[in-house]
Amino acid sequence: MNFLPSFRLGVLALSLLAGGSVAFARLDAKLVTIPAGVYTPLLRTTKDAAAVPVAAFLLDEKPVTNAEFLAFVTANPKWRRSQVSPLFADSSYLEHWAGDLEPGPKAPPGAPVVRVSWFAARAYARWLGQRLPTTAEWELAAAAGYTQPAGRTDEALQRDLYAWLARPVPAVLADATTARANYLGVRGLHGLVWEWVDDFNTAMVTGESRGDTGLERDLFCGAGTVGAKDPTDYAAFMRQALRSSLKANNTTTSLGFRCAKDLP
Amino acid sequence: MKTTALFLLCATLALGAETPPAGKKDACCAAMAAAPFSAASLYQTDVTFTTDAGQPFALGALRGRPVVLAMFFTSCGYACPLIVSDMQAIREKLPAGIRERAAFVLVSFDTARDTPAALAAYRGQRGLDAQWTLLHGSNDAVRELAALLGVKYKQEADGAFSHSNLITILNPQGEIIHQRTGLQGGLDEAAAALAAAARN
Repeated sequence: MNFLPSFRLGVLALSLLAGGSVAFARLDAKLVTIPAGVYTPLLRTTKDAAAVPVAAFLLDEKPVTNAEFLAFVTANPKWRRSQVSPLFADSSYLEHWAGDLEPGPKAPPGAPVVRVSWFAARAYARWLGQRLPTTAEWELAAAAGYTQPAGRTDEALQRDLYAWLARPVPAVLADATTARANYLGVRGLHGLVWEWVDDFNTAMVTGESRGDTGLERDLFCGAGTVGAKDPTDYAAFMRQALRSSLKANNTTTSLGFRCAKDLP
Repeated sequence: MKTTALFLLCATLALGAETPPAGKKDACCAAMAAAPFSAASLYQTDVTFTTDAGQPFALGALRGRPVVLAMFFTSCGYACPLIVSDMQAIREKLPAGIRERAAFVLVSFDTARDTPAALAAYRGQRGLDAQWTLLHGSNDAVRELAALLGVKYKQEADGAFSHSNLITILNPQGEIIHQRTGLQGGLDEAAAALAAAARN
Protein backbone atom coordinates (compact mmCIF):
# COMPACT_ATOMS: atom_id res chain seq x y z
CA MET A 1 0.00 0.00 0.00
CA ASN A 2 2.97 2.34 -0.38
CA PHE A 3 1.37 3.86 -3.48
CA LEU A 4 -1.19 5.59 -1.33
CA PRO A 5 0.51 8.85 -0.35
CA SER A 6 1.59 9.78 -3.85
CA PHE A 7 -1.65 8.53 -5.28
CA ARG A 8 -3.59 10.71 -2.89
CA LEU A 9 -1.50 13.72 -3.81
CA GLY A 10 -2.31 12.95 -7.42
CA VAL A 11 -5.96 12.97 -6.63
CA LEU A 12 -5.58 16.24 -4.86
CA ALA A 13 -3.78 17.74 -7.82
CA LEU A 14 -6.44 16.49 -10.21
CA SER A 15 -9.16 17.94 -8.06
CA LEU A 16 -7.45 21.29 -7.99
CA LEU A 17 -6.96 21.16 -11.73
CA ALA A 18 -10.64 20.53 -12.14
CA GLY A 19 -11.04 23.93 -10.58
CA GLY A 20 -13.17 22.65 -7.77
CA SER A 21 -14.49 25.33 -5.55
CA VAL A 22 -15.65 22.34 -3.58
CA ALA A 23 -13.19 21.70 -0.82
CA PHE A 24 -11.11 18.62 -1.36
CA ALA A 25 -12.50 16.03 0.91
CA ARG A 26 -12.18 12.47 1.99
CA LEU A 27 -8.51 12.20 2.74
CA ASP A 28 -9.41 12.75 6.35
CA ALA A 29 -12.67 10.79 6.26
CA LYS A 30 -13.06 9.27 9.65
CA LEU A 31 -13.44 5.55 10.11
CA VAL A 32 -14.98 4.31 13.32
CA THR A 33 -14.05 0.97 14.86
CA ILE A 34 -17.10 -1.24 15.20
CA PRO A 35 -16.43 -3.84 17.89
CA ALA A 36 -17.04 -7.51 17.14
CA GLY A 37 -20.63 -8.54 17.64
CA VAL A 38 -23.42 -10.79 16.54
CA TYR A 39 -25.79 -10.10 13.67
CA THR A 40 -29.20 -11.71 13.84
CA PRO A 41 -30.51 -12.02 10.29
CA LEU A 42 -34.03 -10.76 9.82
CA LEU A 43 -34.94 -13.52 7.42
CA ARG A 44 -33.27 -16.84 7.40
CA THR A 45 -33.74 -20.26 5.93
CA THR A 46 -33.81 -23.32 8.13
CA LYS A 47 -30.16 -23.84 7.23
CA ASP A 48 -29.05 -20.36 8.24
CA ALA A 49 -27.42 -19.64 11.55
CA ALA A 50 -29.67 -17.68 13.90
CA ALA A 51 -26.72 -15.56 14.91
CA VAL A 52 -23.83 -14.59 12.65
CA PRO A 53 -20.62 -13.56 14.40
CA VAL A 54 -19.13 -10.39 12.92
CA ALA A 55 -15.46 -9.55 13.44
CA ALA A 56 -14.49 -6.04 14.50
CA PHE A 57 -14.06 -3.72 11.50
CA LEU A 58 -13.78 -0.09 10.46
CA LEU A 59 -16.78 1.82 9.12
CA ASP A 60 -17.11 5.36 7.75
CA GLU A 61 -18.40 7.73 10.39
CA LYS A 62 -20.83 9.12 7.81
CA PRO A 63 -22.02 8.30 4.31
CA VAL A 64 -19.86 9.33 1.35
CA THR A 65 -20.66 12.93 0.39
CA ASN A 66 -21.00 14.72 -2.94
CA ALA A 67 -17.65 16.46 -2.41
CA GLU A 68 -15.96 13.12 -1.80
CA PHE A 69 -17.60 11.50 -4.79
CA LEU A 70 -16.58 14.46 -6.93
CA ALA A 71 -12.95 13.73 -6.12
CA PHE A 72 -13.53 10.16 -7.26
CA VAL A 73 -15.15 11.00 -10.60
CA THR A 74 -12.52 13.66 -11.18
CA ALA A 75 -9.77 11.10 -10.81
CA ASN A 76 -11.67 8.32 -12.62
CA PRO A 77 -13.30 9.66 -15.79
CA LYS A 78 -15.06 6.39 -16.56
CA TRP A 79 -17.30 7.04 -13.56
CA ARG A 80 -18.40 10.50 -14.71
CA ARG A 81 -22.07 10.81 -15.54
CA SER A 82 -21.52 11.36 -19.25
CA GLN A 83 -19.05 8.52 -19.57
CA VAL A 84 -20.29 5.74 -17.33
CA SER A 85 -21.35 2.54 -19.08
CA PRO A 86 -25.05 1.67 -18.76
CA LEU A 87 -23.86 -1.75 -17.67
CA PHE A 88 -22.58 -0.20 -14.44
CA ALA A 89 -25.04 2.63 -13.80
CA ASP A 90 -28.55 3.30 -15.10
CA SER A 91 -29.64 6.52 -16.79
CA SER A 92 -30.42 8.40 -13.57
CA TYR A 93 -26.86 8.07 -12.25
CA LEU A 94 -25.94 11.42 -10.62
CA GLU A 95 -28.83 12.93 -12.50
CA HIS A 96 -29.30 15.65 -9.87
CA TRP A 97 -25.74 16.93 -10.33
CA ALA A 98 -25.42 20.10 -12.40
CA GLY A 99 -22.67 18.59 -14.53
CA ASP A 100 -20.05 15.89 -14.78
CA LEU A 101 -17.74 17.65 -12.34
CA GLU A 102 -20.23 20.03 -10.83
CA PRO A 103 -22.56 18.73 -8.13
CA GLY A 104 -24.47 22.01 -8.08
CA PRO A 105 -27.25 23.30 -5.83
CA LYS A 106 -29.18 20.03 -5.57
CA ALA A 107 -26.11 18.19 -4.31
CA PRO A 108 -24.41 20.24 -1.57
CA PRO A 109 -20.80 19.21 -0.89
CA GLY A 110 -21.51 17.83 2.56
CA ALA A 111 -24.70 15.96 1.72
CA PRO A 112 -24.60 12.22 1.08
CA VAL A 113 -24.10 11.34 -2.56
CA VAL A 114 -27.11 9.48 -3.95
CA ARG A 115 -28.11 8.16 -7.37
CA VAL A 116 -25.05 5.97 -7.37
CA SER A 117 -25.04 2.33 -8.41
CA TRP A 118 -23.55 -0.59 -6.51
CA PHE A 119 -20.82 -0.82 -9.12
CA ALA A 120 -19.95 2.85 -8.66
CA ALA A 121 -20.02 2.60 -4.87
CA ARG A 122 -17.75 -0.41 -5.01
CA ALA A 123 -15.36 1.27 -7.41
CA TYR A 124 -15.19 4.28 -5.10
CA ALA A 125 -14.35 2.10 -2.11
CA ARG A 126 -11.75 0.16 -4.06
CA TRP A 127 -10.18 3.42 -5.18
CA LEU A 128 -9.51 4.21 -1.52
CA GLY A 129 -8.32 0.71 -0.69
CA GLN A 130 -11.58 0.12 1.12
CA ARG A 131 -14.73 -1.88 0.48
CA LEU A 132 -18.46 -1.75 1.08
CA PRO A 133 -19.69 -3.17 4.38
CA THR A 134 -21.46 -6.53 4.28
CA THR A 135 -25.11 -6.73 5.28
CA ALA A 136 -24.05 -8.29 8.59
CA GLU A 137 -21.56 -5.50 9.28
CA TRP A 138 -23.95 -2.72 8.32
CA GLU A 139 -26.80 -4.14 10.36
CA LEU A 140 -24.52 -4.69 13.35
CA ALA A 141 -23.42 -1.05 13.33
CA ALA A 142 -26.99 0.12 12.72
CA ALA A 143 -28.36 -1.93 15.60
CA ALA A 144 -26.88 0.51 18.13
CA GLY A 145 -29.05 3.17 19.72
CA TYR A 146 -28.10 6.80 20.35
CA THR A 147 -27.31 6.36 24.00
CA GLN A 148 -27.35 2.61 24.48
CA PRO A 149 -25.98 -0.43 22.67
CA ALA A 150 -29.40 -1.69 21.56
CA GLY A 151 -31.24 0.60 19.18
CA ARG A 152 -34.43 -1.42 19.29
CA THR A 153 -35.03 -0.24 22.85
CA ASP A 154 -33.80 3.32 22.28
CA GLU A 155 -37.02 5.28 21.98
CA ALA A 156 -35.46 8.42 20.56
CA LEU A 157 -33.78 6.47 17.79
CA GLN A 158 -36.91 4.51 16.97
CA ARG A 159 -38.93 7.72 16.83
CA ASP A 160 -36.43 9.38 14.48
CA LEU A 161 -36.21 6.29 12.32
CA TYR A 162 -39.93 5.93 11.80
CA ALA A 163 -40.39 9.65 11.32
CA TRP A 164 -37.81 9.43 8.54
CA LEU A 165 -39.52 6.46 6.92
CA ALA A 166 -42.77 8.42 6.91
CA ARG A 167 -41.23 11.51 5.27
CA PRO A 168 -40.77 11.88 1.52
CA VAL A 169 -37.19 12.21 0.31
CA PRO A 170 -36.26 15.92 0.45
CA ALA A 171 -35.26 17.57 -2.81
CA VAL A 172 -31.92 18.53 -1.28
CA LEU A 173 -30.43 16.23 1.33
CA ALA A 174 -29.06 17.53 4.62
CA ASP A 175 -25.38 17.64 5.44
CA ALA A 176 -24.20 14.22 6.60
CA THR A 177 -22.61 15.66 9.71
CA THR A 178 -26.01 16.86 10.95
CA ALA A 179 -27.09 13.29 11.58
CA ARG A 180 -26.90 12.36 15.23
CA ALA A 181 -24.10 9.92 16.04
CA ASN A 182 -25.12 6.58 17.46
CA TYR A 183 -23.66 4.80 20.47
CA LEU A 184 -20.71 3.62 18.36
CA GLY A 185 -20.03 7.10 16.97
CA VAL A 186 -21.49 6.41 13.52
CA ARG A 187 -23.76 9.00 11.89
CA GLY A 188 -26.67 8.67 9.54
CA LEU A 189 -27.16 4.91 9.40
CA HIS A 190 -30.80 5.71 10.00
CA GLY A 191 -32.63 8.79 8.91
CA LEU A 192 -30.46 10.14 6.11
CA VAL A 193 -30.32 7.82 3.09
CA TRP A 194 -30.53 4.12 2.34
CA GLU A 195 -27.14 2.56 1.80
CA TRP A 196 -25.67 -0.08 -0.47
CA VAL A 197 -24.06 -3.13 1.10
CA ASP A 198 -21.55 -5.30 -0.68
CA ASP A 199 -23.70 -8.43 -0.58
CA PHE A 200 -27.03 -6.79 -1.37
CA ASN A 201 -27.65 -9.61 -3.81
CA THR A 202 -27.95 -12.28 -1.15
CA ALA A 203 -31.63 -11.59 -0.65
CA MET A 204 -33.40 -14.68 -1.94
CA VAL A 205 -36.57 -13.05 -3.02
CA THR A 206 -38.01 -13.30 -6.48
CA GLY A 207 -38.83 -10.18 -8.40
CA GLU A 208 -42.54 -10.50 -8.12
CA SER A 209 -44.51 -10.22 -4.92
CA ARG A 210 -46.91 -12.95 -5.96
CA GLY A 211 -44.02 -15.36 -6.19
CA ASP A 212 -42.43 -14.40 -2.91
CA THR A 213 -44.72 -15.99 -0.40
CA GLY A 214 -43.28 -19.41 -1.02
CA LEU A 215 -39.79 -19.17 -2.42
CA GLU A 216 -39.86 -21.22 -5.53
CA ARG A 217 -37.75 -24.25 -5.07
CA ASP A 218 -36.69 -24.34 -8.68
CA LEU A 219 -35.54 -20.76 -8.87
CA PHE A 220 -33.29 -20.90 -5.85
CA CYS A 221 -31.22 -23.87 -4.87
CA GLY A 222 -31.53 -24.32 -1.11
CA ALA A 223 -34.62 -22.21 -0.75
CA GLY A 224 -35.96 -23.69 2.43
CA THR A 225 -38.41 -22.37 4.92
CA VAL A 226 -37.89 -18.72 5.58
CA GLY A 227 -38.94 -17.13 8.81
CA ALA A 228 -38.46 -13.66 10.22
CA LYS A 229 -36.79 -13.26 13.59
CA ASP A 230 -38.71 -10.18 14.60
CA PRO A 231 -41.80 -9.37 12.58
CA THR A 232 -42.18 -6.03 14.38
CA ASP A 233 -38.87 -4.70 13.03
CA TYR A 234 -40.57 -2.88 10.19
CA ALA A 235 -37.51 -0.83 9.25
CA ALA A 236 -35.43 -3.96 8.84
CA PHE A 237 -38.09 -5.34 6.51
CA MET A 238 -37.91 -2.14 4.52
CA ARG A 239 -34.13 -2.50 4.16
CA GLN A 240 -34.44 -6.14 3.21
CA ALA A 241 -37.15 -5.34 0.68
CA LEU A 242 -35.09 -2.54 -0.83
CA ARG A 243 -31.96 -4.67 -1.15
CA SER A 244 -33.84 -7.51 -2.74
CA SER A 245 -35.48 -5.20 -5.25
CA LEU A 246 -32.26 -3.63 -6.49
CA LYS A 247 -30.15 -4.43 -9.47
CA ALA A 248 -26.49 -3.56 -9.24
CA ASN A 249 -26.70 -0.76 -11.81
CA ASN A 250 -29.76 0.88 -10.23
CA THR A 251 -29.60 4.36 -8.77
CA THR A 252 -32.23 6.13 -6.67
CA THR A 253 -32.76 9.53 -5.08
CA SER A 254 -32.32 8.16 -1.56
CA LEU A 255 -29.68 5.47 -1.97
CA GLY A 256 -26.08 6.24 -1.07
CA PHE A 257 -23.29 4.29 0.60
CA ARG A 258 -20.40 4.36 3.01
CA CYS A 259 -17.15 2.44 3.05
CA ALA A 260 -15.72 -0.13 5.42
CA LYS A 261 -12.32 -1.63 5.94
CA ASP A 262 -10.80 -4.56 7.75
CA LEU A 263 -8.96 -3.69 10.92
CA PRO A 264 -5.22 -3.58 10.27
CA MET B 1 -22.80 10.04 -26.25
CA LYS B 2 -22.43 6.68 -24.58
CA THR B 3 -20.36 5.36 -27.46
CA THR B 4 -17.93 8.16 -26.99
CA ALA B 5 -17.98 7.44 -23.33
CA LEU B 6 -17.02 3.86 -23.91
CA PHE B 7 -14.25 4.88 -26.16
CA LEU B 8 -12.89 7.13 -23.48
CA LEU B 9 -13.31 4.40 -20.91
CA CYS B 10 -11.19 2.04 -22.93
CA ALA B 11 -8.63 4.70 -23.63
CA THR B 12 -8.48 5.37 -19.94
CA LEU B 13 -7.91 1.74 -19.13
CA ALA B 14 -5.32 1.37 -21.82
CA LEU B 15 -3.42 4.32 -20.43
CA GLY B 16 -3.53 2.78 -17.03
CA ALA B 17 -5.20 5.84 -15.63
CA GLU B 18 -7.55 3.80 -13.53
CA THR B 19 -6.07 3.76 -10.09
CA PRO B 20 -5.55 1.00 -7.53
CA PRO B 21 -6.63 -2.39 -8.89
CA ALA B 22 -3.07 -3.29 -9.69
CA GLY B 23 -2.52 -6.51 -11.53
CA LYS B 24 -6.12 -6.75 -12.63
CA LYS B 25 -5.64 -4.45 -15.55
CA ASP B 26 -3.41 -6.47 -17.79
CA ALA B 27 -5.70 -9.34 -18.66
CA CYS B 28 -8.60 -6.98 -19.11
CA CYS B 29 -6.73 -4.65 -21.40
CA ALA B 30 -5.27 -7.40 -23.52
CA ALA B 31 -8.83 -8.40 -24.30
CA MET B 32 -9.83 -4.81 -24.83
CA ALA B 33 -7.00 -4.00 -27.13
CA ALA B 34 -8.93 -4.68 -30.34
CA ALA B 35 -11.94 -2.42 -30.02
CA PRO B 36 -14.15 -1.15 -27.26
CA PHE B 37 -16.79 -3.48 -25.96
CA SER B 38 -20.39 -2.52 -26.57
CA ALA B 39 -22.32 -0.60 -23.93
CA ALA B 40 -24.15 -3.71 -22.75
CA SER B 41 -21.20 -6.07 -22.93
CA LEU B 42 -20.35 -7.89 -19.71
CA TYR B 43 -16.78 -7.91 -20.93
CA GLN B 44 -16.42 -4.32 -19.74
CA THR B 45 -15.90 -5.68 -16.25
CA ASP B 46 -12.33 -5.56 -15.08
CA VAL B 47 -12.58 -8.52 -12.72
CA THR B 48 -10.54 -11.55 -13.63
CA PHE B 49 -10.74 -15.23 -12.79
CA THR B 50 -8.45 -18.25 -12.73
CA THR B 51 -9.08 -21.32 -14.88
CA ASP B 52 -8.94 -24.85 -13.56
CA ALA B 53 -5.53 -25.02 -15.21
CA GLY B 54 -4.40 -22.16 -12.99
CA GLN B 55 -4.31 -19.57 -15.79
CA PRO B 56 -5.62 -16.01 -15.36
CA PHE B 57 -8.78 -15.43 -17.34
CA ALA B 58 -10.61 -12.25 -18.31
CA LEU B 59 -14.17 -12.76 -19.53
CA GLY B 60 -13.29 -10.66 -22.57
CA ALA B 61 -11.31 -13.63 -23.82
CA LEU B 62 -14.67 -15.15 -24.79
CA ARG B 63 -15.35 -12.35 -27.23
CA GLY B 64 -16.35 -13.54 -30.66
CA ARG B 65 -17.99 -16.76 -29.50
CA PRO B 66 -21.53 -17.37 -28.32
CA VAL B 67 -21.42 -18.33 -24.65
CA VAL B 68 -23.46 -20.48 -22.31
CA LEU B 69 -22.60 -19.40 -18.78
CA ALA B 70 -23.75 -20.48 -15.32
CA MET B 71 -22.64 -20.05 -11.75
CA PHE B 72 -22.46 -23.16 -9.58
CA PHE B 73 -20.36 -24.92 -6.95
CA THR B 74 -18.94 -28.41 -7.16
CA SER B 75 -20.22 -29.73 -3.83
CA CYS B 76 -23.78 -28.74 -4.70
CA GLY B 77 -26.05 -31.74 -4.36
CA TYR B 78 -29.28 -30.48 -5.81
CA ALA B 79 -29.46 -27.99 -8.62
CA CYS B 80 -25.92 -27.62 -9.93
CA PRO B 81 -25.54 -31.11 -11.41
CA LEU B 82 -28.80 -30.45 -13.25
CA ILE B 83 -27.55 -27.09 -14.49
CA VAL B 84 -24.44 -28.69 -15.96
CA SER B 85 -26.57 -31.42 -17.56
CA ASP B 86 -28.86 -28.76 -18.97
CA MET B 87 -25.90 -26.90 -20.45
CA GLN B 88 -24.85 -30.15 -22.08
CA ALA B 89 -28.39 -30.58 -23.40
CA ILE B 90 -28.31 -27.05 -24.83
CA ARG B 91 -25.09 -27.98 -26.60
CA GLU B 92 -26.74 -31.02 -28.19
CA LYS B 93 -29.59 -28.86 -29.44
CA LEU B 94 -27.28 -26.47 -31.30
CA PRO B 95 -26.88 -26.81 -35.05
CA ALA B 96 -23.58 -28.25 -36.20
CA GLY B 97 -21.17 -25.46 -37.04
CA ILE B 98 -22.41 -23.37 -34.16
CA ARG B 99 -22.14 -26.15 -31.60
CA GLU B 100 -18.38 -26.32 -31.99
CA ARG B 101 -17.91 -22.55 -31.74
CA ALA B 102 -19.88 -22.03 -28.55
CA ALA B 103 -18.11 -21.66 -25.22
CA PHE B 104 -19.48 -23.26 -22.06
CA VAL B 105 -18.45 -21.49 -18.90
CA LEU B 106 -18.96 -22.47 -15.25
CA VAL B 107 -18.00 -20.04 -12.51
CA SER B 108 -17.96 -21.25 -8.91
CA PHE B 109 -19.57 -19.46 -5.96
CA ASP B 110 -17.36 -21.42 -3.62
CA THR B 111 -14.23 -19.30 -3.60
CA ALA B 112 -12.75 -21.21 -0.67
CA ARG B 113 -13.23 -24.85 -1.65
CA ASP B 114 -13.48 -24.71 -5.43
CA THR B 115 -9.81 -24.07 -6.06
CA PRO B 116 -8.50 -24.51 -9.59
CA ALA B 117 -7.46 -28.05 -8.58
CA ALA B 118 -10.95 -28.85 -7.28
CA LEU B 119 -12.44 -27.53 -10.50
CA ALA B 120 -10.01 -29.64 -12.53
CA ALA B 121 -11.16 -32.71 -10.61
CA TYR B 122 -14.78 -31.77 -11.32
CA ARG B 123 -13.96 -31.42 -15.01
CA GLY B 124 -12.70 -35.00 -14.95
CA GLN B 125 -15.71 -36.37 -13.10
CA ARG B 126 -18.17 -34.72 -15.43
CA GLY B 127 -16.15 -35.42 -18.56
CA LEU B 128 -16.07 -31.76 -19.64
CA ASP B 129 -13.81 -31.21 -22.62
CA ALA B 130 -11.81 -28.18 -23.75
CA GLN B 131 -14.97 -26.44 -24.91
CA TRP B 132 -15.73 -25.89 -21.22
CA THR B 133 -14.09 -23.20 -19.15
CA LEU B 134 -14.20 -23.67 -15.37
CA LEU B 135 -13.44 -20.57 -13.36
CA HIS B 136 -12.39 -19.79 -9.83
CA GLY B 137 -12.49 -16.20 -8.61
CA SER B 138 -12.00 -14.02 -5.56
CA ASN B 139 -15.05 -13.15 -3.45
CA ASP B 140 -14.97 -9.76 -5.11
CA ALA B 141 -14.90 -11.13 -8.63
CA VAL B 142 -17.66 -13.66 -7.98
CA ARG B 143 -19.86 -11.03 -6.31
CA GLU B 144 -19.41 -8.71 -9.29
CA LEU B 145 -20.16 -11.36 -11.90
CA ALA B 146 -23.27 -12.39 -9.96
CA ALA B 147 -24.37 -8.76 -9.90
CA LEU B 148 -23.84 -8.47 -13.64
CA LEU B 149 -25.86 -11.60 -14.31
CA GLY B 150 -28.57 -10.84 -11.75
CA VAL B 151 -27.68 -13.97 -9.82
CA LYS B 152 -28.44 -13.89 -6.10
CA TYR B 153 -26.53 -16.14 -3.77
CA LYS B 154 -25.70 -16.61 -0.15
CA GLN B 155 -23.52 -19.00 1.77
CA GLU B 156 -25.47 -20.94 4.37
CA ALA B 157 -24.22 -21.86 7.81
CA ASP B 158 -23.41 -25.38 6.55
CA GLY B 159 -21.09 -23.99 3.87
CA ALA B 160 -23.40 -24.72 0.95
CA PHE B 161 -24.74 -21.90 -1.21
CA SER B 162 -28.28 -20.88 -1.88
CA HIS B 163 -28.32 -19.38 -5.34
CA SER B 164 -30.45 -18.44 -8.31
CA ASN B 165 -30.63 -21.19 -10.89
CA LEU B 166 -29.79 -19.30 -14.00
CA ILE B 167 -28.20 -20.20 -17.33
CA THR B 168 -27.17 -17.13 -19.29
CA ILE B 169 -26.60 -16.92 -23.04
CA LEU B 170 -24.16 -14.25 -24.24
CA ASN B 171 -23.82 -13.18 -27.84
CA PRO B 172 -20.34 -12.86 -29.38
CA GLN B 173 -20.15 -9.27 -28.07
CA GLY B 174 -20.68 -10.45 -24.51
CA GLU B 175 -24.20 -9.09 -24.18
CA ILE B 176 -26.86 -11.03 -22.30
CA ILE B 177 -29.40 -12.12 -24.90
CA HIS B 178 -31.25 -14.80 -23.00
CA GLN B 179 -31.54 -16.23 -19.51
CA ARG B 180 -33.11 -19.48 -18.59
CA THR B 181 -34.39 -19.42 -15.02
CA GLY B 182 -35.33 -22.37 -12.88
CA LEU B 183 -34.77 -26.01 -13.58
CA GLN B 184 -37.70 -26.89 -15.83
CA GLY B 185 -37.84 -26.57 -19.57
CA GLY B 186 -36.56 -23.62 -21.51
CA LEU B 187 -33.66 -25.44 -23.13
CA ASP B 188 -34.98 -25.19 -26.68
CA GLU B 189 -35.42 -21.44 -26.27
CA ALA B 190 -31.90 -21.09 -24.88
CA ALA B 191 -30.41 -23.07 -27.76
CA ALA B 192 -32.44 -21.09 -30.31
CA ALA B 193 -31.33 -17.78 -28.82
CA LEU B 194 -27.72 -18.84 -28.94
CA ALA B 195 -27.96 -20.10 -32.50
CA ALA B 196 -29.61 -16.86 -33.65
CA ALA B 197 -26.92 -14.77 -31.98
CA ALA B 198 -24.15 -16.87 -33.47
CA ARG B 199 -25.50 -16.38 -36.99
CA ASN B 200 -25.57 -12.58 -36.70
